[in-house]
Amino acid sequence: MSVETLFAASHIYIGNAIWYLVIFAILMLLVKHYAWGPVSEMMEKRRQKVIDDLDSAASDRKKAEVLANEREAALKNSRQEATKILSDAKSNAQKESDKIVAEANDNAASIRKKADADAKQAKTDALNDARGQVADISVAIAEKVIAKNLSAEDQKDLVDQFIKGLND
Amino acid sequence: MEKSFVFEFLGLKFDLVGIIGSTLMALAVLFLCIWLSRKVEMKPNKKQNVMEYLLDFTNGIVKDNISDPDAQKHLSLYAFVLFLFIWFMNQLGMFLEVKVGDYMVIKSPTADPVATMSFAMMTLLLSFTFGVQKFGVGGYLKNYAAPVGFLFPINIIEEFTNFMTLSLRLYGNIYAGEVLLTLLGNRLATSYGLPTLILAAPLAMIWQGFSVFIGSIQAYVFVTLSMVYIGKKVTKE
Repeated sequence: MSVETLFAASHIYIGNAIWYLVIFAILMLLVKHYAWGPVSEMMEKRRQKVIDDLDSAASDRKKAEVLANEREAALKNSRQEATKILSDAKSNAQKESDKIVAEANDNAASIRKKADADAKQAKTDALNDARGQVADISVAIAEKVIAKNLSAEDQKDLVDQFIKGLND
Repeated sequence: MEKSFVFEFLGLKFDLVGIIGSTLMALAVLFLCIWLSRKVEMKPNKKQNVMEYLLDFTNGIVKDNISDPDAQKHLSLYAFVLFLFIWFMNQLGMFLEVKVGDYMVIKSPTADPVATMSFAMMTLLLSFTFGVQKFGVGGYLKNYAAPVGFLFPINIIEEFTNFMTLSLRLYGNIYAGEVLLTLLGNRLATSYGLPTLILAAPLAMIWQGFSVFIGSIQAYVFVTLSMVYIGKKVTKE
């Protein structure tokens, strides 16, 4: 079986083979330049972009998680702080009020004591005054008695005079 | 049998049918690709989606059959252009067969074994290149004696049979499709006047539809097998 009968439909044209190869090469170059190159470049770029987006989304989520944790911790902390502040304030206020009451008690006690002392003092002073006056009066009377040998009449005059003096 | 224009240039014979068909389809592929990727954006528009779908499809063929990432990158363009070009050439003869007198002017270039052998030869040479690039000349030749020495002649024959099956499968499918279409259109339709004309029309339509399917499958098979053969050369057995 010769090649001629095998390919009865046509003959072997070497020129055609070269033409096909040349035209395929040219087609490949042109398609690469105008279509395949830009499109596959864009596909690669998109692939890269998707990868980047996924990565950034993952990192963003991680960041958000960290932030949320921090916030939760801060919230917990602040709540604890608030309770602490509240209890501190309460105990402080209690202490303060105790102190104030104690001070007031002290003050009141001291004022009373002072008033007692003052009253006692005033009483002794008044007594002393009265005692001094009575002594003076006795001395004055004694002087008068001693100065004159008195008759009954005189005595009567003297007493009257004294009483008159008291009245003055 | 139909005749074709043949001319000689620089001592080489050229067949005008194949040249016209392949050139037209190369232009069609080029314009389709340019049209589809006129505006390339990060958010793809409709046309770009089609282009990217095609690219993903051929890239999928490459990735399924070749594990070497470096070769994958280099073969993406080859697979893409090869698939589109062969697909277009397969479809050309389905809807357009132009005859001027007794001379064929336009038909599928892939219904001609010279065309399919050219592409198969391209794949074969590419597989040699990738194999040598990956393992060096010595390592590449040693792979012929792998996994055991006595397989050496079989591995050598395999190169030839790979080449022949790759090219003749495509040629046979497309050629048979065109022959049947020609028979339906030229012989059956004109045999007994109107009744056979009416009978031939739906048959031709059905066969054309089937041929579109076959043409697509064969383009896919051709690219897939090309990748398998190249992939085998860059993988250590």
